Amino acid sequence: MDIAKYLPECIKKIPTHMDFAGQQKAERMFQTIILSFATVGLVWGYICQQFSQTMYILITGFVISCLLTLPPWPMFRKTSLKWQKARPEPEEVGSTTAPVQKSKKKKN
Amino acid sequence: MNTALARLNTIFAFTLSVMAGLTFLCFLSTFFNEHKADVSINTAKVIVKNVPDYSAGREKNDLGFIKLNQVVVWDKIIRRGENSILDYRKANTKYYFWDFGNGLRGNKNVTLSLSWNVIPNAGTLPKIMGTGQHKIEFPAEYSPNRFQ
Repeated sequence: MDIAKYLPECIKKIPTHMDFAGQQKAERMFQTIILSFATVGLVWGYICQQFSQTMYILITGFVISCLLTLPPWPMFRKTSLKWQKARPEPEEVGSTTAPVQKSKKKKN
Repeated sequence: MNTALARLNTIFAFTLSVMAGLTFLCFLSTFFNEHKADVSINTAKVIVKNVPDYSAGREKNDLGFIKLNQVVVWDKIIRRGENSILDYRKANTKYYFWDFGNGLRGNKNVTLSLSWNVIPNAGTLPKIMGTGQHKIEFPAEYSPNRFQ
């Protein structure tokens, strides 16, 4: 069942994709955020000798990186791919499936 | 990484890996800790009483013994951040010595010592025996007074 055709036009217009450069940027971003929060949490947890503080700070970093990189924000859609122009449709409409090849093995 | 679910999966897995690394670092930071401490125990008045035991029925019961001649007479849980320097005066026995016969009266070889565990977030469970013991003798006579 495809619900896409029942959605109104204003919802369909919301972009949901992330381009390739944006995906790389998002991955680098959450790795940096989580690792820096982990470092700060380790130092702070060592200072007050509470490992739970380290875990709380790490989970904060997890939530922040989720907020920043899960939705496809516009900053991840800056370098869109340059597509070639669409070719004109051929007049004869052939079958879209490839022709079935005969198997080369012969039965004994 | 092209859909939000794929990103959520990646972030979650990465966070779990970082968490495992942090736990290992926490273990490393506690592994070389020196837990030894000096213990000083003294006793003021040692009395032994002969009391009836009403906890079991009148029928004869089986009683098992093992030859580990060691009992716990006092314990305490100290949480992280609480005062760990114990200074008790006039403290009573928490768990009494209890002998299912008459072996306590006149026993001249009773040694009190203090041992402890440090329960870690991650890593080994050290069992430490404090340096310092105290030897007591139980009196040869039962205490006649009930409330003493």
